[in-house]
Amino acid sequence: MGLIKKVPVYAEHVPGGGFVATQLESVLSHAQACSMWYLLFATACCAIELMCTGASRYDFDRLGMIFRPTPRQADLIIAAGTITKKMAPRLRRLYDQMAEPRYVIAMGGCTIRGGPFYYDSYAVEKGIDHIVPVDIYIPGCPPRPESLLEGCLHLQKKIKSQKLADWHEK
Amino acid sequence: MTRDELKEHILKKYDGLLTPLETGVFDLMFEVKPANLTNVARMLRDDEQLKFDFLNNIAGVDTGEQFEVVYSLSSISNNLRLDFKLVLPYDEAVVDSVKDIWTAADWHEREIWELYGIDVNNHDNLKRFLLPDDWDQGYPMRKDWDAPDFVRMPEL
Repeated sequence: MGLIKKVPVYAEHVPGGGFVATQLESVLSHAQACSMWYLLFATACCAIELMCTGASRYDFDRLGMIFRPTPRQADLIIAAGTITKKMAPRLRRLYDQMAEPRYVIAMGGCTIRGGPFYYDSYAVEKGIDHIVPVDIYIPGCPPRPESLLEGCLHLQKKIKSQKLADWHEK
Repeated sequence: MTRDELKEHILKKYDGLLTPLETGVFDLMFEVKPANLTNVARMLRDDEQLKFDFLNNIAGVDTGEQFEVVYSLSSISNNLRLDFKLVLPYDEAVVDSVKDIWTAADWHEREIWELYGIDVNNHDNLKRFLLPDDWDQGYPMRKDWDAPDFVRMPEL
């Protein structure tokens, strides 16, 4: 909730006044969108791109995205990599353990529709939207860090456009 | 011992037990009768000149006409490699376990049992290995396997 702490600082600069008027909705959604903590859930080669995005060159932190090793502290699950049928119930379980509001990014071809394992595979789940609701799809095999960042910006946009009334539906 | 010397040695010493095949590209390939498997395995391991003390892999194959089980061996001390395979008709898909000869066979045999439905005799730990515990859709590596969400690669 970085913004709320900064509101008094901004308010100081408003000419002739020590207050600022805004909507609770916009403050909350702004705070939420700018501190998306994501669960480390990387099952295949997309993880390399995810790690690269998290490291200093692309610097995920500047979007307020910090990885969490536990679903209890995460707002977002970036499913990076192939989900097998054996893994699917585990993904669902991790998703269920996250506090609401929660979001899912399907990163890479495998999570969208099975990717290169679509044909001739008995083991790979053909799309994680059979298991959890997905907010953003990022195609690629694997997607470049730029694509992942683009996807996250789209997710931020989506969160910022949410109304308070939408919260309970999510 | 070179590749040719190895072939000669095996033909001389194990005449009739191992039949050479022309399909081996890098390593020699032999065929072994399923009934002779444990015998041959033990002899290859204990032969002082060969000492195949390391089992690289056991692979199941479904050719569309029959099953094959391919064993790849290495000799660490003599720097040798050798493959042999068993040919099993569909209705007699049973092999003897070589777990007590090479312990590494344990998991490989569970795998071919689970994925191909090739039964393994004398294996004391034959239970699910890679598939989910509640799997009930048969043997997925068989050529004729099918499932509702299984999509076969179209002919190009």
